[in-house]
Amino acid sequence: MADEALARAGLHFDELNKIRVLEPEIATQTNELKEETKEFLDKMSEFQKIVDSFIGLMDNVGGEVEKEKMKAIGSRNLLKSVAQQRQAQQQELQALITEKKIQLERLRIQYDSLLKDEQEQNDFIEQFILQK
Amino acid sequence: MKLKSTLQKQPKHQELVSSVGWTNPDEVYSASDDHQLKSTLQKQPKHQELVSSVGWTNPDEVYSASDDHQVLKWNILNNESTGFWPNCRKMSIRPTCIGSLKEYQGRNKAQMCLCCLLQMSDAYCISTYLGFLNYQSLCKFLLISRTGRVEKSVEAHRGAVLSVKWSYTGSELLTAGEDGQVKIWSRSGMLRATLAQNSSPVYSVMWGPDSDQVLYTQGRQLVIKPVQATAKPNTWRAHDGVILKVDWNPVNNLILSAAEDCKYKVWDNYGRLMYSSNTHDYPITSVSWSPDGELFVIGSFNTLRLCDQTGWSHSLEKPNTGSLFNIAWSSDSTQIAGACGNGQVLFSHVIEKRLEWRNFELLITGRKTIDVRNVNNEAREKLDFRDRIIKVSLAYHHMVVATSSQCYIYSVKNWNTPMIFDLKEGSVTLIRQSEKHFLLVDSSSIYVYTYEGRLVSSPKFVGMRMDILNHHTVSLSDDTIAIRDKNDEKTVNLFETSNGKPLGDGKPFQHSTEIMEIALDQCGLPSERRMTIVDRNRDLYLTQVRVYGNNRKSLKLGTMIQSLVWNDETNMLVALNNGRFTVWYYPNAIYVDNDVLSKTVMTRDASEFGKKPHLLSFIGKQVAIRRAEGSVISTTISPYPSMLHDCVNHNRWDDAVRLCRFVKEDSLWACLAVMAAYAKELSTAEVAYAAIDETDKVQFIQNIKELSRKEARNAEMALFCGQEADGEAILLQSGLIFRAIIINIQLYNWNSVEMARRMKGEQRQRQVERCGPGDRQAGTVLSRWAGMETDWQELT
Repeated sequence: MADEALARAGLHFDELNKIRVLEPEIATQTNELKEETKEFLDKMSEFQKIVDSFIGLMDNVGGEVEKEKMKAIGSRNLLKSVAQQRQAQQQELQALITEKKIQLERLRIQYDSLLKDEQEQNDFIEQFILQK
Repeated sequence: MKLKSTLQKQPKHQELVSSVGWTNPDEVYSASDDHQLKSTLQKQPKHQELVSSVGWTNPDEVYSASDDHQVLKWNILNNESTGFWPNCRKMSIRPTCIGSLKEYQGRNKAQMCLCCLLQMSDAYCISTYLGFLNYQSLCKFLLISRTGRVEKSVEAHRGAVLSVKWSYTGSELLTAGEDGQVKIWSRSGMLRATLAQNSSPVYSVMWGPDSDQVLYTQGRQLVIKPVQATAKPNTWRAHDGVILKVDWNPVNNLILSAAEDCKYKVWDNYGRLMYSSNTHDYPITSVSWSPDGELFVIGSFNTLRLCDQTGWSHSLEKPNTGSLFNIAWSSDSTQIAGACGNGQVLFSHVIEKRLEWRNFELLITGRKTIDVRNVNNEAREKLDFRDRIIKVSLAYHHMVVATSSQCYIYSVKNWNTPMIFDLKEGSVTLIRQSEKHFLLVDSSSIYVYTYEGRLVSSPKFVGMRMDILNHHTVSLSDDTIAIRDKNDEKTVNLFETSNGKPLGDGKPFQHSTEIMEIALDQCGLPSERRMTIVDRNRDLYLTQVRVYGNNRKSLKLGTMIQSLVWNDETNMLVALNNGRFTVWYYPNAIYVDNDVLSKTVMTRDASEFGKKPHLLSFIGKQVAIRRAEGSVISTTISPYPSMLHDCVNHNRWDDAVRLCRFVKEDSLWACLAVMAAYAKELSTAEVAYAAIDETDKVQFIQNIKELSRKEARNAEMALFCGQEADGEAILLQSGLIFRAIIINIQLYNWNSVEMARRMKGEQRQRQVERCGPGDRQAGTVLSRWAGMETDWQELT
């Protein structure tokens, strides 16, 4: 009876006969809820950590990808320009070859003239010997 | 930024090149003939933007100006650069060109260098009117001393100043700008004259050799304008594209032009085309003459080409420089600096110059090394020098090497112990050699040394200019130095080699027209020294050196002479004239017997030498000829004339006659005849003249032989050689006055009768009346002297 009267006044006794404002059942549930919430929070923070690290990782990967992409674009451009470079080099080499050819021709003429000169001198020597 | 990225690609580019078997450019060029360039570039460009101009102040110091508002000073010795004149950056000035003032004849020592930078201020405002740009700003040129102090800042042009040049005396400055004006300024920055006003920019200007004319570009045309306001300019269309650069060399007086039509051309000072190059791949952006006028370089995109003064290319280089906007030579003609489009400054020096003399071949392999090869025994010598080699000459058994501080003299017999002496100035511009002496020309004086290294003399005359002397205008023999005067090109100054004093009466030799080339013969007695002169009409004259006043005779030996050389050991002369190859075995014949001269000459067709050949040397019996496209052709002349010279020089007349009998050639007999007549060797002359069927001369000589007195014979021989004055002088000197009179009478030279009158009375009163029976004119004259007695006993 007294319990009921107390209950009406909003007072309860728990198992340890301590006076309580809340009903023991609700109190227990509240405590349980509290526990669960804490657990939930812990899990959430853990999740947060994992997500953070994941995002970091993804960012890294993204950066790498971006870099690689740029590299790829760069090398593609380079590759494209190689043809051009080749052409330029070819032109350069061609110019050098032409130059060499001109020089060769010059030297050939000089060689020919020396040969001719040698021939003339040999003829002269022969003639000289015959005359004696 | 873009430029930078291309530079980062550079190493890759080189890898690509090496993959086709190319390791370094030097190897590629090692097979090149004569000259080539060895270039160095910095690993990283020191300038951030294109280099617009370079300039030398002395052979170790270069200034470069770039669009990145920087002027750098480069030290060639350690290849380091330092910032010069930092205000450039502070004021954000864009220097467009540099005109560096070198020392001229040692006069400007105090103010050794004035670096002239032209500014295109960044603050200039551009407003667009109907699609064309209007430069509002006045652009300045700045005179900056070597210490970096701005001495003068002068507003010069509207729009950028594109070209600036100091005159050769260093007293005037020439500028050209985008506004199409060409202006002359005094040293202190006062405007002297505005030479031209064009509608289009003038990209390049240059002084003429005497600083009295100016060459500038006008679109596709070149204009030579005299500095005097009234004189008419000479304008000609030179290229099919806009002309970008011109240069005019004072030594050879040739003009170079480079244009957007990808060609470079060489012109003479009248605007006649001497050479036109093939079309290149890119526009030619720069040209520059070497100060000695022997070489020039052209620059284009990734291209540097070294050419001979006649236009053909010595070597081609493909450095990674971008366009070469400006090229400058150092004053000693051995190094160049190039302003590159990619911010680099290119440095090159000329190597692989090849010299030959008899069995020795000499190759300058590096800046400080020479390889000498004896072809006969394949002995090789490697000569190292302390300093940079500037000039080398090899002739007459000696090699003379001038470095930037010393002169080395080697004998070809001994390559180990040269004679060495210090040079006063390190800028030798010319070396000439003779049998016993050699001559050095530097920027202040001419020095003559013996091969022992002893200074013999240093000839001087008023108005001597060293910077334009070349091997055409200076000639040296063992006893005489000849230097053509620059102020009056008709005169040649002659000096005694041994003491440097003017010859004889001290008066220079005068010719009727401008002289282009002079050359002295090398052998024989000093009194018989002869000099050849090629004048403006390309006529060849032979003149006596040691005959003075009116007696000196210049006789015309040939016409249309392209090139000529004296032999080094006999007085033979070889020339290319009008498509013929001509050898004068004995040029002196023109003074002895002009009729026979043509027989002493060997001439043949020169078509095998191509167009415009040029004689290089005439050593022994070997003639070397350079064809227009650069190849060297050697040809040999008959050995007999030099043998004959040898016999005659040693007075072995019998041997000479025997030689001629053996050879049986008219030319040789003719030479002998003339030589004998000149030496008054009557019997030899008689034989020789008989051999070439000159009956009248044989008879004359026989008559002379019958004369008993030596003087009389000599006089008659002088007459025979056409030297009446000499003959008369001989006779008068030895007292044979009557004979002198008769000679004059025979020559119908009646004035000389007066001379006879002046003679001593008693001699005059001799024997004249009966001397010329049958000769009517003589008779009439003699009748005037009637009553004179004749003493035939005294007559001989």
